[in-house]
Amino acid sequence: MLDDQRAESATAGPVRVPDATIRSAQRGDLIALHDLLEAITPYVRRLCWPIALQDAPDATQETLIVVLRKLGTLREPAALFGWVRVIAVREAVRVARQSSRTAPAELIELPAPDDPALTADIRDVLNRLSPEHRAVLTLRDLEGLDERAAGEMLGVPAGTVRSRLFRARESFRRAWRTEGGDR
Amino acid sequence: MIWPIGEIDDLRRLRVLAAAIPGAMYVETDLPARFDDVWQVLGDLERALPGLVPDVRSVRVTEQHGERFRAMIRGRSGLRAPFDGILRPGWCLMQSRFVSFGIAVAPDGDGTRLGYMSGFRFPGMRILGPLLVPANRLLGRVVVRRFITRFDRDGDSGGRPM
Repeated sequence: MLDDQRAESATAGPVRVPDATIRSAQRGDLIALHDLLEAITPYVRRLCWPIALQDAPDATQETLIVVLRKLGTLREPAALFGWVRVIAVREAVRVARQSSRTAPAELIELPAPDDPALTADIRDVLNRLSPEHRAVLTLRDLEGLDERAAGEMLGVPAGTVRSRLFRARESFRRAWRTEGGDR
Repeated sequence: MIWPIGEIDDLRRLRVLAAAIPGAMYVETDLPARFDDVWQVLGDLERALPGLVPDVRSVRVTEQHGERFRAMIRGRSGLRAPFDGILRPGWCLMQSRFVSFGIAVAPDGDGTRLGYMSGFRFPGMRILGPLLVPANRLLGRVVVRRFITRFDRDGDSGGRPM
């Protein structure tokens, strides 16, 4: 359900979508569009949630709309999930930046270990990163992308991604370790 | 490492489909009945759709395999058409060669939120779609009124075709 936050393993990979389903969906077949949605929605959710957090339902919805509207431009069905990933990351960052004007635009220093705001919740840790940092972290740790591929997806040079990744992972690790030590 | 992840409800899925289908009509409304009561009615397509979906006089489900089914729909004009569909709690999609429509419902407090979508499958709908906006607006109001009327009965969540 919407807003029903739950933890789920991030290891589940994309499922295979038959080429015929994609071709039918490109022709506007509603049942094929349904099947395509069923196949890609878990993957889109998995990417959008860590990046967009509280805005993830909107980011997921926006991603799926862009995917279906632009489906006709997908020439090679085998490239489906790579193509969806690009759209999902861009939409998640865009939606998160658009709505969370109070969120840090750049990475901020994490609070001290005894800061009561630091709860044992990974959402809080992610919340302390900017959407771009969360995207870098997600692409690297969930998708296993290297800096160059992540840079292409985010539209920034690999060097920038490398520094973002370093800072994001450092902060993430510190915060996670801190929380772990509190348990 | 456990990463946060959540669900999106069926109304959002239907919004996605409606946004992707050129010229589609999409409306949402609140129904004054619980989800289970609403779906008990809507899930019985043969009884529920006549009177709710415009121009549907009768529905006969001819095949069913899990969530997939095929139905013969007769319109008020007398025309008949086979429809392929998907049906599961809170979600129904149907399409013929020329028409498609979908219904999504989700619990919303003590009531139920309903989404309804319909569209044509003609070539050129991408161009014609904007011309249908006024008609879609009117049709949307009619559909919303029908659904609300069906479920707005004291202690009776419907079940009888209008």
